[in-house]
Amino acid sequence: MSTTTLTERYVHEVVRRLPADQRDDIAEELRATIADTIEARDPAALQAAEREVLSEMGDPIRYAARYTDRPLALIGPDLYPMYVRLLVVLLTSVLPVITIVFALMELADTHDAAAAVGAGISTVLTVGAQLIAVLTLAFAVAERVRNRDGALARTATWTLDDLPEVRQPDKGGVAAYAAVAWDALLIALIGWQHFARPYRTGGGEEIEVLDPALWSGWIWPVLVGLAGMLAVALARVAARGWTVPLAGLNAVTQAVFALPLAWILHRQMFLNPRFLADASSNGLTQEVYTGAAVIVLLVGASAAVKSFRAARR
Amino acid sequence: MSVEELTLAQSQELRRGTVVLACLALLREPQYGYALLETLNGAGVTVDGNTLYPLLRRLEKQGLLTSEWNTDESRPRKFYRVSPDGSLVFTGLVREWRDLVTSISRLTKENG
Repeated sequence: MSTTTLTERYVHEVVRRLPADQRDDIAEELRATIADTIEARDPAALQAAEREVLSEMGDPIRYAARYTDRPLALIGPDLYPMYVRLLVVLLTSVLPVITIVFALMELADTHDAAAAVGAGISTVLTVGAQLIAVLTLAFAVAERVRNRDGALARTATWTLDDLPEVRQPDKGGVAAYAAVAWDALLIALIGWQHFARPYRTGGGEEIEVLDPALWSGWIWPVLVGLAGMLAVALARVAARGWTVPLAGLNAVTQAVFALPLAWILHRQMFLNPRFLADASSNGLTQEVYTGAAVIVLLVGASAAVKSFRAARR
Repeated sequence: MSVEELTLAQSQELRRGTVVLACLALLREPQYGYALLETLNGAGVTVDGNTLYPLLRRLEKQGLLTSEWNTDESRPRKFYRVSPDGSLVFTGLVREWRDLVTSISRLTKENG
């Protein structure tokens, strides 16, 4: 390895990252500067001095960036908070919904719970990776386009009207995400036990846990209520807190869910009679059913009241 | 971080802008990159080549410096000198510097 190639290689690595019209000029100056610096070190050991000088100059990518002011970050500090926020919303709301839909479709096709779980897992991996990749790419491109226009372009057009409202830290954030997950899980469970018929009787027959008669009646308002609660919970996450209209919607969807469910429980229309016969659970008396119905009503009412109180604060 | 490291980091912040001032002062006479670096470091304005050379380019781009290739010697070198705009900026910066020195010495005297 001759000494000229080492400097040449370094210079080449720097200037190929610079705009074409500046390349030759900067390359010429860089060569002269490096040669000047090497000579000043130790004229007797030029090779060692060259290695030393180039090492001190450091990574050519960094060196080139000093000339161009190009960002060395994929997504800079200005865009990063928005990027993270969007990523979290996509992965906690869009991804679970898509996953559940795909798993249910697999269930409807195959009536095989294991296949549905497999479809769910592969959906989480592939769709999740795609969501992350597309979002990251979009923000990386935005970062570079923004920088080409000049970082001052944004600050120049900023006015006081752009000042965002002060946001209280989202205290109930975790609970809101939990509500989203819980509502989605309930919908998935109800669909799963209907399509996959997970319970196997002593006779080897696969049956549903919930009364199949519900599907020609009372299950629908329950599912509509659940879907409404899921939508409200997602809106609550997006709004970072309860508002009065949201709390109103929450009360309505809680009622649509809880009232029919309480009625179903109270009238003992909830579980599949064949499942009950097979499981021979004698502990499920009318008191247990009515108690469960009361609990459902209380939980729904307390959720509605809580959201109103949070909205008023 | 120890107190020594903190002092070092803060004094680097403090020195950052002074390199431009020193360059504009020295480049009233044409000079090339490496010689300027040596003169600056000899004068106690410590600066890294990695910082200085791109800085000269930026100042040239802003119109504060002009440059010319000198091919009289065996090694062609790019010589920089202050432009008329650069001289005006330099005058402004010197005034700013003097005001700062006055203010800071008054402050440090009162609180010292």
